[in-house]
Amino acid sequence: MNVEERGIDTGHRAQRLSLRGLNKSFGAVHVVKDLSIDVAPGEFLVLLGPSGCGKTTGLRIIAGLETADSGQVVLGDTDVTDMLPKYRDVAMVFQSYALYPHKTVAENIDFPLKVRGVSKQERELAVRDAAAQVHMEDLLDRYPRQLSGGQRQRVALARAIVRRPSAFLMDEPLSNLDAKLRGFMRAELKRMQHQLGVTTVYVTHDQVEAMTLAHRVAIMDRGVLQQIGTPREVYDRPANLFVAGFMGSPPMNFLRGRIENNRFESQGVSLPVAPDKETMAKDVVMGFRAEDADIVKHGAGLFDATVYAAEPTGDVTLVTLVVGKESLSVKMPKDYDIDFDKAVAVHFPLDRGFLFDAHSGVRLAARLVSVS
Amino acid sequence: MITQNIRMSPRRSLLRRWFEPKSIKKMAPATAVIVYGLLILWAVFVLFPLYWLLITSFKLPADVNAGPVYLPWIDFTPSLHAWRELFVFDYEDTLRAYINSIIIALLATVLCVTIGSMAAYALGRIQYKPKFATIVLFVLCLVAMAVVVGRWGVDWRLSLAVALAVFFVLARAVGRHFKATLGNGDILFWMISQRILPPIVAVIPIYMMFQSVRLLDTHIAQILAYAVVNLPIVVWLMHDFFVTIPTDLDESAQLDGATRFTTFVEIILPLAKPGLAATTLLVLILCWNEYLLSLFLSTSNAQTMPILVAAMNAGERGILWWSMAVVIIVMIFPVVLMALVLQRFISRGILLGAVKG
Repeated sequence: MNVEERGIDTGHRAQRLSLRGLNKSFGAVHVVKDLSIDVAPGEFLVLLGPSGCGKTTGLRIIAGLETADSGQVVLGDTDVTDMLPKYRDVAMVFQSYALYPHKTVAENIDFPLKVRGVSKQERELAVRDAAAQVHMEDLLDRYPRQLSGGQRQRVALARAIVRRPSAFLMDEPLSNLDAKLRGFMRAELKRMQHQLGVTTVYVTHDQVEAMTLAHRVAIMDRGVLQQIGTPREVYDRPANLFVAGFMGSPPMNFLRGRIENNRFESQGVSLPVAPDKETMAKDVVMGFRAEDADIVKHGAGLFDATVYAAEPTGDVTLVTLVVGKESLSVKMPKDYDIDFDKAVAVHFPLDRGFLFDAHSGVRLAARLVSVS
Repeated sequence: MITQNIRMSPRRSLLRRWFEPKSIKKMAPATAVIVYGLLILWAVFVLFPLYWLLITSFKLPADVNAGPVYLPWIDFTPSLHAWRELFVFDYEDTLRAYINSIIIALLATVLCVTIGSMAAYALGRIQYKPKFATIVLFVLCLVAMAVVVGRWGVDWRLSLAVALAVFFVLARAVGRHFKATLGNGDILFWMISQRILPPIVAVIPIYMMFQSVRLLDTHIAQILAYAVVNLPIVVWLMHDFFVTIPTDLDESAQLDGATRFTTFVEIILPLAKPGLAATTLLVLILCWNEYLLSLFLSTSNAQTMPILVAAMNAGERGILWWSMAVVIIVMIFPVVLMALVLQRFISRGILLGAVKG
């Protein structure tokens, strides 16, 4: 799906951002390995991964705060790989906001224009305009220390949008806010990016943020890009065990086992697999999502399990089950109630299960089938 | 399993009432008596010499020689004799030294803090990796040059040119073969080690340097010397302040389009104000009190206050305690004033709101 189909107003500023074969090591640690991503003009791309996966380093290379050992960063038609940050025409929102504490809100937003030598009248208008976009126009004379976390976040955003950059870079901008505010700012951020239509790269370790904000998500682990695709794609068709285990809350359930004679066998679990050459006698991991599964009467499901704990979360009840040595979680309706240690069984539509190679982690084409 | 009852009893005996505080944020009565007692003793110990100076400045020579007398109007009759002598009869000498001291201390401090804080910022933000072998090569070239000039009387300009040429030719090759590098920490330590060196070791070479450029007994000689001598202190202290400022702010400013110098002046320096004020005050006091360098670098025109004080000790009229007291009191005054002015800035919490909440 391209940008036009998504109905995004790209505007004249939207630029394509291409990363080509980026590598970066700090000493002996290879933090970014051969990273290549194409970000379409006006696209909202989220770099997602656990801490230390190289996503922030990748972002800092785009910003010019780190230099890549090899590879290229191309913004629009310009190769910016060896340019100083200030010539790149990108704006960054830091996790810490990085507001200048001795400057007022207005002076903070004004700073990028001031150092660029914009005339005073133009600056005043632009600052008011940017402040209005983030609803901070009444607090222009305050100092950062007099603002709440959410307000500081807005000032940081205003400082980024005031100079109309070719691309926005955001490094976990919401992670210092409390849960309620985070949800609210997420919606604001998405709307603002939609309105401005500026190419955006957003780094986070929070898969909910990634799912909700992104046009496309790029999932990284240990410096390597694992999968890139729309939130739906990475959720419904994870490329490997890592992606499957990272996306979703709770993460996908896994059962280690083996395929023998077209059956998946694991600790008393035995499920039919569609006949396939690829899956002859192989160590695999079977996975299914908590929301796809159901708890049924003992002996009436695909396999039996024991209740370990049940946690009502308000909208659903999360039940943790034990099968052999593995624990699984199943999402049940909110008023569902069950005793600890009760013997039950698990059922899920077999076409909602996944099979992964136990050694490489890659998702197999083979599927579970119902024999009937 | 612990079987014994280990709950502590809160019952307050007389002893406990004396030696245990009422709450964890307070002092126990007995502790308070000891602490305040020691503080009062210390205050008397520190303040008594100042009091002694003050009354001595109002004593006649006869009162000073009569032995210790403490209370004005009771033990002795205060007189403006010493003040009049210095500010009416000898006012030219006193005033000149006073003005010299102010000019030299202020300008040296400004120069020193300006250069020092820039160096400290660079050391805090830029990674320097000088090759150890290159430094050794540079020193060897200089030594060779000195030997050639001293031993065979070769013209020093020619010798310097050759030495530098040799250095630049060999530097690359040496750098390729020896990988060991030094870091910012080594540079910082090298700087502070200059201050560890006893100044008396360096003062004769410094004297000869200024003699050869004919700057002895001038303001500029002392300003330069004071600034250089105190530079390590500024670099060391300011470096400590700069590293507490999050680098996010630098990076943000760079992305906003600021040059490194703009970042330094507009963002970092205002945030380091408390450190800057404290460092300025310290350097100012050091320059104000500097004796050794002034003794060597000035003879009459550029003499500073510490020299004047010392001179009172060595005249043909014996030690002029009363005059000395007057000079010391007027010397203390501007430093106290500066301390009061700068104290406003030496407050914490300026970084509040920079990052996070």
